[in-house]
Amino acid sequence: MRLELAEYPVKEIRLARISRYQSGVLEIDRPAFEDMILCDGRIAEASLAVVHPGDNVRITGIRDIVEPRVKVSGSGQVFPGILGPVEAVGDGRTHRLSGMTVVASAAYEGTVRAGLGVQRSALLDMWGPGAEASKFGALAHLVLVMKLIPGLSEFDAHKAIQGAEYRVARRIAELTIGVEPSRLKMYDLSVRRPALPNVILVQGCLTDDHQAHSGVSYYGMPIRESLSTFVHPNELLDGAVAVIATRGIGYFPITWDWQNHPLMLRLCRDHGQRVNFLGIILQRIRYETFHGKEVIAHNAAQLAQTLGAQGAIVTWLGSGNAFVDVMLTLRACEKRGIAAVLVTYEYGGKDGVDSPLLFYVPEADAVVSTGSRDRWLTLPEAERIVGPYEQLQILSYPGAPVADARGQLILDARDMVIGGVDNWGQESWICNGY
Amino acid sequence: MSKELEKAGLPVAIVSAMYPVVEQVRANRIVKGVSIPHPCGDPSLPQDLDARLRREIVRTALRALESDVQGPTLFSPDVAVNR
Repeated sequence: MRLELAEYPVKEIRLARISRYQSGVLEIDRPAFEDMILCDGRIAEASLAVVHPGDNVRITGIRDIVEPRVKVSGSGQVFPGILGPVEAVGDGRTHRLSGMTVVASAAYEGTVRAGLGVQRSALLDMWGPGAEASKFGALAHLVLVMKLIPGLSEFDAHKAIQGAEYRVARRIAELTIGVEPSRLKMYDLSVRRPALPNVILVQGCLTDDHQAHSGVSYYGMPIRESLSTFVHPNELLDGAVAVIATRGIGYFPITWDWQNHPLMLRLCRDHGQRVNFLGIILQRIRYETFHGKEVIAHNAAQLAQTLGAQGAIVTWLGSGNAFVDVMLTLRACEKRGIAAVLVTYEYGGKDGVDSPLLFYVPEADAVVSTGSRDRWLTLPEAERIVGPYEQLQILSYPGAPVADARGQLILDARDMVIGGVDNWGQESWICNGY
Repeated sequence: MSKELEKAGLPVAIVSAMYPVVEQVRANRIVKGVSIPHPCGDPSLPQDLDARLRREIVRTALRALESDVQGPTLFSPDVAVNR
């Protein structure tokens, strides 16, 4: 499997009456794109907005973020099983627009009233402390502001938002066809050097098997209770793994994160230099019994060993009891002689003195912290709101008190900021207290 | 909570499906529960079997309360759980 990723940087996005990509400037034919979104009868209203780093703007109602990509050769299309049929991806050539994203923001009430299945949306400030708290503060965004028709099922709402988001992103990426890229990167793991250690990435995924969408999908199919499987990094680069689009929470990775998985990208870069990167084990976590957690830990470690791993980087997504599965996985790897390193965010409370993690095993003797998700954050008053919500519901139950989205916001956790929790070590944080 | 209650002089048995986590925070009497959403029973069972399971878990918890323990001790209900 060999994928050439051609990069087209975007410095500026302009809403215009023509669509084109030219020397770092992306022009978007606004009415044409708005009409394209409204072709889906489940979307009642749609408009486009553009924001750039430094703008005094707060984006509300964020459900997901995607980097525009399109496949120009090789089988399949980006987001297989969602934008097209279930076909193998990861081979050939894919174009990507870097430095910008498509943000899906949508007003949607939802039908689930408790638990992780409740619809949620996050916000993003493009200036000040809010921009510093998220990697997305430094990128330009084309924001889709949508309102769904009432009465949709949870899954229909998800499909409507995700469909609009991915279709717009792919259409934009198509503007680069025939244009010379600024950079080409080759992703090819086929050649290994015997002198280097074999390293695997174990990606734990909390999924909710009882919800309409479990949270994470593989070729468009929501992953429910399942055993671990192997995924090639190139498949991620082409969107084989995607996420639910009705739940924007800072500590759940979004589509952009899967396309730009920082641990995966670094391991690809180091392949053949420092390590032989074997690929990714996608491991469903959050089993409801301790027995289940032990089995999935064993299963991932067994797969890692079978693939020849000598080292494993173990990371996860989610919160709560799923972390027990993660720790047991570290133990299971170490017991088989696979050196395992954990990459995780911490809790720690407002002041960082509470327990940073839910559960420990003695075998977890190498842990990389990506920072706390519990630190409070004060966002100053914004000049302008982009997005479907002028008012914010800090708690998500119907009838919960609302705050003016424009005003100063004091957040007691990073969940409400998209990209506010550094799940996989993307940011270059420096530890200044230990 | 169980530690605070014990500090106040009340013996506590905690029923939990995540018993190793409970052990880690050093609660004293730990009863193996069924699953995280349903520690004290199994709604997928026929009603009479679920009732028997629930009774056994409560009995085990009462046995735990009566027991003298030194540090975290695990009590296992005598049931076969299909999960």
